[in-house]
Amino acid sequence: MDKQLDLLQGTLDMLILKAVSLGPLHGYGVLLRIQQISKDRLEIQQGSLYPALYRLEHQGWIASEWGESENKRKAKYYRLTAAGKRKLQTETENWNRMANVMAGILGTKPEEV
Amino acid sequence: MTLWSRSRLWLRATLWRSRMESEMDAELGFHVEAYAEDLIRSGVPCEEAMRRARLEFGGAEQVKEECREARGVVFLESLIEDIRYALRMMRRSPGFTAVAVLPLALGIGANTAIFSLINTLMLRRLPVRDPGQLVELLSQYPGEPRTNCCGGKVYAHIRDYNHVFSGIIGTAASGFKVRAEGLEPETVTGNYVVGDFFPVLGVKPAIGRLIGPEDDHMGSANSAVAVVSWSYWKNRFDLHPAILGKQILVEDVPLTIVGVTPRAFSGLQTGLKPDIWIPLAEEPMIAHPSRLASGGLGLALMGRLKPDVSIEQARAEMSVLNQWRVAEISKTNKDPLWRQARLEVAPAAAGFSLLRNQFMNPLVVLMAVVGLLLLIACSNLASMLLARAASRQREMAVRVSLGAGRFRLVRQALTESLLLSAASSLLGVFLAYFGADALVRIMASGRRIVGLPSGIELQVQLDSHVLLFTAGVALLTGVLFGLAPAWNALASAPALSLRGIRGTGETRFRRLFGSLVVAQVALSVVLLSAAGLFIRHLSNLEHLDLGFHRDHVLLVKLDPEHSGYEGERLYRAYKELLGRFEAIPGVRSATFSGTTPISGGGAASFVKVEGHPENPEDRRYVSVNWIGPKYFDTLGTPLLAGRDFNFQDQRGPRVAIINQAMARYFFGNESPIGKHFTIDRDWKGFGDDMPFEIVGVVGDAKYYEIREATHRTIYLNSFQDGNVSSQFALRTNVGPTAVGPEVRRTVSGVLQTVSVERLITLDDQVDASIVPERAIAALSGLLGALGAALAAIGLYGLLAYAVARRINEIGIRMALGASRGDVRRMVLGDALGMVSAGLVIGAPVALWGKSFVASLIEDLPVESVVPIVFGAVAMIAVALFAAYVPARRAARVDPIVALRYD
Repeated sequence: MDKQLDLLQGTLDMLILKAVSLGPLHGYGVLLRIQQISKDRLEIQQGSLYPALYRLEHQGWIASEWGESENKRKAKYYRLTAAGKRKLQTETENWNRMANVMAGILGTKPEEV
Repeated sequence: MTLWSRSRLWLRATLWRSRMESEMDAELGFHVEAYAEDLIRSGVPCEEAMRRARLEFGGAEQVKEECREARGVVFLESLIEDIRYALRMMRRSPGFTAVAVLPLALGIGANTAIFSLINTLMLRRLPVRDPGQLVELLSQYPGEPRTNCCGGKVYAHIRDYNHVFSGIIGTAASGFKVRAEGLEPETVTGNYVVGDFFPVLGVKPAIGRLIGPEDDHMGSANSAVAVVSWSYWKNRFDLHPAILGKQILVEDVPLTIVGVTPRAFSGLQTGLKPDIWIPLAEEPMIAHPSRLASGGLGLALMGRLKPDVSIEQARAEMSVLNQWRVAEISKTNKDPLWRQARLEVAPAAAGFSLLRNQFMNPLVVLMAVVGLLLLIACSNLASMLLARAASRQREMAVRVSLGAGRFRLVRQALTESLLLSAASSLLGVFLAYFGADALVRIMASGRRIVGLPSGIELQVQLDSHVLLFTAGVALLTGVLFGLAPAWNALASAPALSLRGIRGTGETRFRRLFGSLVVAQVALSVVLLSAAGLFIRHLSNLEHLDLGFHRDHVLLVKLDPEHSGYEGERLYRAYKELLGRFEAIPGVRSATFSGTTPISGGGAASFVKVEGHPENPEDRRYVSVNWIGPKYFDTLGTPLLAGRDFNFQDQRGPRVAIINQAMARYFFGNESPIGKHFTIDRDWKGFGDDMPFEIVGVVGDAKYYEIREATHRTIYLNSFQDGNVSSQFALRTNVGPTAVGPEVRRTVSGVLQTVSVERLITLDDQVDASIVPERAIAALSGLLGALGAALAAIGLYGLLAYAVARRINEIGIRMALGASRGDVRRMVLGDALGMVSAGLVIGAPVALWGKSFVASLIEDLPVESVVPIVFGAVAMIAVALFAAYVPARRAARVDPIVALRYD
C-alpha cells in the first residue's frame, strides 16, 4: 500500500462535494466513498468530516435529510444542491488550472528559462 | 442559499437547539457504530472495535463544538446564556439592582423628558408638503426680540414683488366666540388665513374642501366659510360627515363649514391648537372694529422657497423689500428706530418660532444639566459594578482557567451593564412621560406669551425620535459604565486571584475605582457650580430693585363686558368700588391701572415737551399708563415731588405724573412740576395737541419686564382721561389671597353683572415672568444635590472598601506606633486627595461651562466666582462627610485583631 497523504488545506470540502455528487450519502458513507475513490491514498481525520459537512450545509451547497441506512438504521443523508453542483464545477476548474500551472512550474528545466 | 432559507435555518437552529443537539448526537453515534461494525466484520474483536472506532473518530465534544460553530449559532446561544446569567445576577441581589437602576433611570428619564420637549418645539416637522422649503419672515425692531408680524400691505407687497418664494402665506391667530345649533357657546382658538394658505402648504382636507383663493375676496358672500380641525370635528360632531354645509355663528356672523383639516395638522404654531380657520377677507365682518381695515392686523408670514432658491438668496431679497416696508411704516410712524428695522428670514420646517425663541435656550441649558447628571449616574454605576466585579474576582479567575475566553468575559460584563441600562431606560421612559408633562405645565404656568391668543397647549409625544434618542442614550450609557468592569475582567490575572493574592490586580482595581470617584467629583463640581450659578441668577432677579414692592399686593381683574355698565356709570361704580375695597379689613389701599406691573405688555407713545425740542432722530417711545388715585401708594413707588392724582382732577385741567427717568432726560436738574407736554397722535387715533401739566414725579419702576432698562414713563389719570381700567390692585396688611373671598363678595355687591375674571398676587405675576429661570434654578439645584449625593456614595463605598482591605496594613502601622489620629488622617487624606483631583479637573470645565450657558441665558452673573467656590466647598464638605465613617472605623482598628485578619 502506498504511503497515505495528508490532506491539503481546503481540499476536504471538494472531496465531500465530489463524494455526494455521485449520490446521496450519510457521513460515514462519505468517508468510505472518499477512501474508495482515492484508493486509500488519503488520510482523513474522521472527526474533521462533520464540522466540514455542517459548514457546507450552512453554506447551502449540500442539503441533509434523515433516511434509512443499508442495515435498517436511521441515518442522516447528504445530497448535492444545485448551488453545490455549480460550486463543485468551478472548484474543479480552478483546481485543474492550478494543478496545470503548478505542474508547469515544477517541471521547468534550467535550459527552458 | 437565499437570505430567507439561511435565516430560517438559523432560527431553527436557535429555537430547536435541543433537537439539533440530539440529532447531532445521533449522527455522530451512527458513524462510530457503523465504523465499529465494519471493523468487527474485518475481524477485530467486539470490545476492541468500539474502542478503536471512538479513538479514531477523535474527541467527540470537540467535534460537536466545531459543528455548532460551523452551523453559525454559537454567538446567539452564548448571548442568550449571557442574558440569562445577567438576569439571574439581577434577581439575586434586588437591592443592588434597585440602587443601580434608580439613579440611572432618573438620569435617562430626565434626559428623555427634556429631549422630548426639544423634539416637540424644534425637531418635529410640520405635517405638510416638503416642510424643508418653508421659511418665516421675522421683523427685527432694534433692541427687541424678533417677531413674525407684518401688516397686510407689507404682506401684499412681498407677495407681489418677490422672486424667491413659490408661495407666501399670512395668518393671524385670534379667539372666536362660536355658537351653533346643538352646540354650547364657547370661545375657540382660530386663525384668519389668506386664500393661498392651504394650497401653499400642500395640506389636503380630511373631508370636504379647504379654504382656497376663491374664498378670500373682500366683501364677497363666498368668503363666509370656515374650515375646522379634525379634533373639533371629533369632539363636537363625533366625526359625522353632516358637518359639511353646517352653519355656525362666529361672533354672530354666520359661516358655512366647508371642510375639515387632516388629523395630523394643527396649524403652524407649536403650542397653539387652532380649531377653526376663516378667510382673512371675512375679518372686517367678524371683528369690530376691524383691524384689517385700519391696518392694525399683524399677519404671521411664512414663505415656501422655490426649489432652486437658497435661504441666503431669500435673505438678500427680503432686505431689499424691507426698504419699501420701512418707508411705508415711516409714513405713519414717527419712531426713528423703525428705519433701522430689518426683515429676516429663518427656516420654519418645524413651524413658527415663537415658542422656540422663548424656551429653546433654557431647554438646551437643562439638557446640559441632565446630561451631567446622567454622566454622574454612569460613573456611579460603573464603580458599583466594579466593586461587585472585585467580589467576583475568584469566580472570574476560575472561569478563565477553565478555558473561558477573555472576550467572552468582557462580553458578559457588557451584557450585564447593557441589561441594566435597558431596564433603567424602560423605567426612565415611564418617568419621562410624567416629567415632560410636568415641564409643559411649568412652561404654561408662565404669563401668556404675546402673540398667542390662548395659553400654551403642547402635545408632547414620546414619538419615534424620542424613543430612538432614549435607546441611543441607553446603549451609550451601558457601554460607558460597562467599560470599567469589562476592562477589569479583561485584565484579571487568574493565577494570583485563585491563590487569593491581592497583588497587581488589587492596585489596578483601586486605581480604576479611584479615577471613577475623581470623575464623579469633577462632574458634581460642574453640576453644583452650575446649580449655584442659576440659583444666584434667580436670586439676583428676585432681588432686583423693581421700583415697587411686590409683596402684599392682590391684583383683581374684572370683566365689565356685556355687564351693561359703560362710560360714566362704570366710572361712578368703580369709584364706589375703590372705597368699598379699602373698607375690607386687611386692605390698606386700593387703586386700578391700565397696565399692571410685569404683565409683559403696555402702551407707549411719543411726546413733545414744551420748551425742550428733540432732534427727530433722538425721539424714543415713552411708556404710558392710566392709573387711579393712590396707585403709587398701593404699589409702594415713592412720590419724589409734587402730588398724586385725586378724584377732583376729573373736572380740572389735564394733569400727568412722570417718572424720574423722564424728568432727568428732559429737565435735568430743573423741576418738571408745572411744565407741559403733548402726546403725538398715533395710528390708533390716541393723542392730540392738548397739553398735560406735570403735577408729580415718582421713582422709576419696572414696567413690562423685570430685566428691562427703565423706560421713560408718564402716568395719566384714568378718571380724567376717559380711560378707566378694570385691573384693580389692593395693598394688604394680611396675606393678599386671604382677602380674595371678601373682594369677590364686594364686587358682586356693588356690580351685580360684573364678574371677577382673575385674582392673582403681584408676587405671582412677577414670578410668572421668570418661569424659565425659576425652573432651571430649581431643577439644577435638585439635580446638583442628587449628583453630589451620588458622588458621596461612591466616595464612601471606595473608602469603606479600601479600609476593609487595608485592615492588615493599618494594624501593622498601629503596631509600629501610628496613633489613631494618624490613621484617621490617612483615610481623610485619601478622600481629600481624590476630591482635590476632582476639583482640579472639574473647575476648568465649570469655568468653560459658565461661558457656554452665558451665551444662552442673558444677564447671568458670570463674573462671580461664588458659584464655583460654592461647588468646591460643597464637594469637600460632602467628601469629608462621606469619609468620616470609614476614617473612624480605621481608627478603631485593634492591631492584635487586625494582624490576624486575612
